[in-house]
Amino acid sequence: MKYNYQDGILSISLEEELDVNSCKTLRTVIDGYIMKYQPDEFFLNLEHVKFMDSSGIGLILGRYNLLKLMNCNMTILNPTNSIKRVIELSNISNKIAMRSE
Amino acid sequence: MKENKMSITINAVSENIPVVRVAVTSFISNLEITLDELMEIKTAVSEALTNAIEHGYTKYSGDNPVVILNAKFTSDEEDHVEIEVIDYGVGIEDIELATTPAYTSKPELEHAGMGFTIMESFMDEIIIDSEKDSGTKITLKKKLRNKKSKMS
Repeated sequence: MKYNYQDGILSISLEEELDVNSCKTLRTVIDGYIMKYQPDEFFLNLEHVKFMDSSGIGLILGRYNLLKLMNCNMTILNPTNSIKRVIELSNISNKIAMRSE
Repeated sequence: MKENKMSITINAVSENIPVVRVAVTSFISNLEITLDELMEIKTAVSEALTNAIEHGYTKYSGDNPVVILNAKFTSDEEDHVEIEVIDYGVGIEDIELATTPAYTSKPELEHAGMGFTIMESFMDEIIIDSEKDSGTKITLKKKLRNKKSKMS
């Protein structure tokens, strides 16, 4: 995992496979950065994530709910096609902006 | 007709899920399978294992909770993959409720409740066989599409 904070924007880039095991750890770490920086804008870059199951949906949704309380926008960046398919099965694709750049 | 089988028994801990995922992926990767199909099976297996480990067993479950995965493929004019995930845990009391999209019995753990939805969408057939206090068997079936397109 890599993170970068600048001018109110927190960007986190994940590299690990997102399943129940990795998500347990990741959510604590990510929330740590969110609470520390209290960003206005949050980017979650999934470019290097090669696998994700429904635990990843839970991870994304959990962060979204936390950020919403802080009036922070969240965007998912660069999901691979297969991860996009998993995301699109859930209703988070209606709530959370997703784009590739 | 070619047939092959693989059977794996793991301790019911989530650290083992990636290991089994990789094993199943290599087991079927010699078939004429697309990357999409490979990903679909891998994801469905991951969901079934997660359910068995996170929901099948509780902290009160016996000494040595295990999960068994049986994988099988038959390769003929069509290729079929069949995977069973078996636990001897608490069982699913209300299958209809458990398979409702976005329902989770453990929202506090940030489960999305999408496991069965993913298994149903990514596989052709899912059979849920469960009995309270004796366990659950999930059977996932998928026919690979490659051969059909090749013949036509």
